Amino acid sequence: MDWAMLIEWVVKALLLTVILLTGFAYTTYLERKVLAWIQVRIGPNRAGPWGLLQPAADGIKLIFKEELIPAYADKIIFVLAPVITMIPALIINAVIPWGREVVIFGRKVALYLADVNVGVLYIMAVASISVYGVVLAGWSSNNKYSLLGGLRASAQMISYELALGLAFLPPIMLAGTLNLREIVEAQRSMWYVVYQPIAAFIFLVTSIAEVNRAPFDLPEAEQELTAGYHTEYSGMKFALFFMAEYTKMIAVSAIFASLYLGGYLGPFESQFPWLGPVYLALKIFLGLFLMIWLRATFPRFRYDQLMALGWKGLFPLALLNVVVTAGVLALVG
Amino acid sequence: MTTLVTVPDIETRFAGVITPDTRKGYQGYIVEAEHVRAFAKALRDDYGYDYLASLTGVDYLPEGKMEVVYHVYKSTGGPGLVFKVQVPRENPVVPSIVDIYPGANFQEREAWDLLGIRFEGHPNLRRILLWEGFWGHPLRKDWREPYFEEEGKPFSSRWPHGKHFHHEDKNPFGKNVDYPPGFDPYTWEPDTADEILYQAVLQRSEIRDDLRTERVVVNLGPQHPSTHGVFRMIVTLDGETIIGLEPVMGYLHRNHEKIGERNTWIMNIPYTDRLDYITAMANNFGYVLAVEQLMGVKPPERAEYIRVIMAELTRIVNHLWAIGFLLNDLGAFFTPALYAIEERELILDVFEATTGSRMMNNYFRFGGVARDIPEDAWDKLVQLVTDRLPRKVDELDRYLTNSELIQSRTIGVGVLTAEEAIAYSTSGPVLRASGVPYDIRRADPYSIYDRFDFDVAVRYHGDVYDRYLIRIDEMRQSLRILQQAVKQIEQEAPRGAPILAGKPQYQVRVPPGESYGRVEAPKGELGFYVVSTGKPNPWRYHVRAPSFVNLTALEAMCRGHKIADVVTILGSIDIVLGEVDR
Repeated sequence: MDWAMLIEWVVKALLLTVILLTGFAYTTYLERKVLAWIQVRIGPNRAGPWGLLQPAADGIKLIFKEELIPAYADKIIFVLAPVITMIPALIINAVIPWGREVVIFGRKVALYLADVNVGVLYIMAVASISVYGVVLAGWSSNNKYSLLGGLRASAQMISYELALGLAFLPPIMLAGTLNLREIVEAQRSMWYVVYQPIAAFIFLVTSIAEVNRAPFDLPEAEQELTAGYHTEYSGMKFALFFMAEYTKMIAVSAIFASLYLGGYLGPFESQFPWLGPVYLALKIFLGLFLMIWLRATFPRFRYDQLMALGWKGLFPLALLNVVVTAGVLALVG
Repeated sequence: MTTLVTVPDIETRFAGVITPDTRKGYQGYIVEAEHVRAFAKALRDDYGYDYLASLTGVDYLPEGKMEVVYHVYKSTGGPGLVFKVQVPRENPVVPSIVDIYPGANFQEREAWDLLGIRFEGHPNLRRILLWEGFWGHPLRKDWREPYFEEEGKPFSSRWPHGKHFHHEDKNPFGKNVDYPPGFDPYTWEPDTADEILYQAVLQRSEIRDDLRTERVVVNLGPQHPSTHGVFRMIVTLDGETIIGLEPVMGYLHRNHEKIGERNTWIMNIPYTDRLDYITAMANNFGYVLAVEQLMGVKPPERAEYIRVIMAELTRIVNHLWAIGFLLNDLGAFFTPALYAIEERELILDVFEATTGSRMMNNYFRFGGVARDIPEDAWDKLVQLVTDRLPRKVDELDRYLTNSELIQSRTIGVGVLTAEEAIAYSTSGPVLRASGVPYDIRRADPYSIYDRFDFDVAVRYHGDVYDRYLIRIDEMRQSLRILQQAVKQIEQEAPRGAPILAGKPQYQVRVPPGESYGRVEAPKGELGFYVVSTGKPNPWRYHVRAPSFVNLTALEAMCRGHKIADVVTILGSIDIVLGEVDR
């Protein structure tokens, strides 16, 4: 292993983390602005031009806030829980391909961090870890609202992970690989959303449930559980949950784009590989906008309705879709 | 005008038990305490007075009597009947009528709390507005507050010579409170009261299936985003299913009624604004109606029209608010609420131009209103009621009514049958959504509501969805009334016509007697029971708050539903804590 490669990895990893954290900050800004426009309001406009420094102001505020730990909380787990939620949200992005190879300083650099040959499996494994953070946060807070929020999160995860996993399958079957970069490359002729609209829809719905966004934001349902699992959290620990949610939003949008919307592919991308990241960013933006739009529009599901939708609606549909896809693939060859 | 009747037949049936109330300015019957239950049962079952509107007490200190006043009505409409029970002031005990009129539950508790009248047979006679350790019953005439100065305003220290003083000097901190004997605030454990509450809720919570699961008691509130203020619900959960619920209120209690009895009559008008602060105009309306009945004044035509216009605009304001925040309780993140609030702001613009204030209007006077609607505000108002508001109500209807998520969250949730709704004395949209077309504007008309052509909105399922729909219906009917009113006022009483009967005056003469003024406020029946002794201050000033009485039915609506539904059901009752806690 040569040193240059190691440095390249480190630089790329740092760069990705910085981009993600900045992306998280400006996703909050985007959300507040878009929500405001949808709701005939103005939104943040005080800090900096058009309120662009608002995320920085929020971050500084949260860092300087007092960190409270409830007296009867399980302290170790209470501190650990936000970390367990945050880390998977970050590392899930490692396998997302941002483009093909480009030449920087005469050196060929691949625009992805890790070209894992079981990339999709990796995503599914890592994505499921973060729910432990939520459950542990709810349990360790020693608060009934938090506990209910944590329980809801685990039940929701079980109901949706199955359908989500089945929605991962069709692109894998079509591309014949678990490698995310190869799945994207396989979409050069046609995006998979055209072949697999049902799977794409199921993926979209379940992934919104996976990141606990409205209308599936039951674990933190403000109206019922005040703030659900993070009721007792304050300061930077609360910010970590917040960061995890938005980073996961970005990750989920990126995964959806890669699996169904052709990832970094787009017009003239083959001539100019630098366009790859731009296209992917654009597709992520669309995903984020959709999630914000949904939040501004829909009331929340009720817990039992959500479970019913997951088990009785999406899971059989996804299963059927996989079977039909397999059948068609077997016939066509 | 609210009218009360006497029933000749009942006088012969209960001869010797009831006597007509012959005091000057009083109506109805005085019933012997031990026969009140039989009398109430006969009224409900044989005479059709199935709706207990108001129950309250009056302390007649000079006569040494404590009186309980019942106002009952027929749910089919028409004038009501008032009867009273008189008991000695020392240790007053009255049989409870909760099992005959379940709607008396909270009102009897309130009378116990504030007046110390014990209702024998009440299932849960605890304090409701004050805290468990409170000493005394503040609405008794011999109970004096820490900064007591005089029985009634204006205090002679302030007026006419203006030699005011600071109470802190006369009554320094540390000596300004009386504690009950043996009570030490530094060692007092507040948890005991909570424990009593929890035990009460747990005892009432039954587990239906055989599966032994642990019951969890959760406090929703007093600090909670969805209780619309400082309201607290102690909920027993089996999983996420509600098996018991106990509303706890009084966190915003300021003893509005005691303050009202110290004030002069006209001083109370701005205080009524603060009851249900969303619908200040309707509160003004109820209070001036009660006092006008006693004074025997009638407002001029133009004032009547302005009153109706303002009251109906207030109804629209309230329903927009209620629908917006019901959707918020369902988890729609503020979007419907803000769309609704946009329209509300435009109506408040008209209020501001007319009264000088957007919410605390202080606009009605005895015998009229304070000032006329300015011309530019009038043009705005006409444009609003004829063009913009009908469109916007349709828009809300179009966006929300057929939404599948809303339907799946609300249909069949929190059902209250018509019989229950009447029994629990619910009123307003809650009552009408359960299939009882009872609207005071029609059932017992006041002001000039008999001149307008409108329908009483009614829906039949009694669930949250119907309580949402009925508010849309009512906004449409209010707009109908408004459109007729803005046309008629131009012909009947054009600008320049008097808006106040007689001269404006600071000190009104109110002849002795009692009066119950009830209006169809946006949240339900808002009643003011006032007793005058001819002095500058009311002897008794009682507010029958619709939100407060509607909450009686909350537990019945919530049991068996999920925790997410409680919030929705509470939102569909539409309470304002300023009015519940008074």
